[in-house]
Amino acid sequence: MAKKILIVDDDASIRDYLTTLFEDNGYAARSAGSGADALKMLEQDAPDLITLDIEMPEMTGPWFSRTVAKGGTYDRIPVIVITGHAGLQYVIPKAVASLTKPFDQAELLRIVRETIGQ
Amino acid sequence: MFGKILFATSASPACDSAARVAFDMARKYGSQITVFHVLGIPGKGDSTRVVDVRTGEEVDADQEYIEGVHEELRTTYAKQLAEFPSAKLEVAVGVPFREVLREARKDDVDLIVLGASTRQEGGYYKRGIVGGTLHKIAKNARCPVLTVDRPAASFWGGFSNVLFATDFSKASDSAFQFAQSVARQVGGEMHILNVLELAKIGQVAALTQEGIEAKLMEARRKIRAVYGQRTEGLPLTVEVWEGTPYVEITKYVREKGIDLVVMAHSTREVDPDERPFGSTMEQVIARATCPVISVNRPDKLPQAEGGEAGA
Repeated sequence: MAKKILIVDDDASIRDYLTTLFEDNGYAARSAGSGADALKMLEQDAPDLITLDIEMPEMTGPWFSRTVAKGGTYDRIPVIVITGHAGLQYVIPKAVASLTKPFDQAELLRIVRETIGQ
Repeated sequence: MFGKILFATSASPACDSAARVAFDMARKYGSQITVFHVLGIPGKGDSTRVVDVRTGEEVDADQEYIEGVHEELRTTYAKQLAEFPSAKLEVAVGVPFREVLREARKDDVDLIVLGASTRQEGGYYKRGIVGGTLHKIAKNARCPVLTVDRPAASFWGGFSNVLFATDFSKASDSAFQFAQSVARQVGGEMHILNVLELAKIGQVAALTQEGIEAKLMEARRKIRAVYGQRTEGLPLTVEVWEGTPYVEITKYVREKGIDLVVMAHSTREVDPDERPFGSTMEQVIARATCPVISVNRPDKLPQAEGGEAGA
């Protein structure tokens, strides 16, 4: 069964890009355009990994992360930060990696493979 | 909460992160915001010559120059000001910390927001603040002072986990009152952390583990005794960790997902200018992944009014 990745980013083009990238490499990908949508999707079907944008309207990446951590149920899911802003690489506690856009897709795939396998 | 915010800026990129925090908080809490810049330190007598604090150069601070600085501020913060047409821009000449304190008193602000220094001292322990400016403002301000030194220490949407870091000093009591007031207003959780600085209580090697654990227990009991009654009704976590205070506080922020750290700018500490690596608060400001507020007086507690701001 394919490992599941949840993409959280308010930029539709990034969501589409990452969905295609992950599916082309054997992962099952779903995406959420906001932290609020991502929280609902977590409840429906918990992923094996989350890619998380930082600066999103309504609910920022760190706020989403804190909400998940408080709930307790999904805080073990590894997170890869994908952000357009340098200096925000370490704002998500316990993130396994942080990539700044534009990122190297081979590097991203390597990190995903190391984190959750193929 | 935070009806009036004074954002004191050098208008350099070093203050970009502080600008984000100041305007994001103003939006969230419906605050009136003032962008305040101190032009420079005046020369002798009645001369309009000032030493620009950003460049160190002597300039003629005539009306034209001051208007130019106003324009520069408007350009630098154009995006934020578009959303806050009622925001005020003020420019002053003088010693930065004095002018900031004067402006804060004049307007009776509820919060001062400061950015990091434009001068980066070398070495691993970065002195991110201009000389003793932070120290002098934090020590003398009648309202809380929020300092932002890195983009990661931003306001991410709210304060759901408030950390009050205490050393049980008298000044800590004001910080506690502020922290618990914020936690109550936002319906958040309160964390109280005391760090047992092992180096201060004798040679580490001479302490048994039981000795350390006894001290930890004693400190936990003291936290409950000093602050417990006043946190009735608040979700509360009490922790005592041993180690170097700024390291443990930074770790706690990271591990517990803290949104706001509140500390007293302890008057017991040696003048930060005389410490090679800065005060505990300065180090926490430089390292934490959330805003850090210093409170030395109980004068200004967050008020219950306020809410989402309109443009």
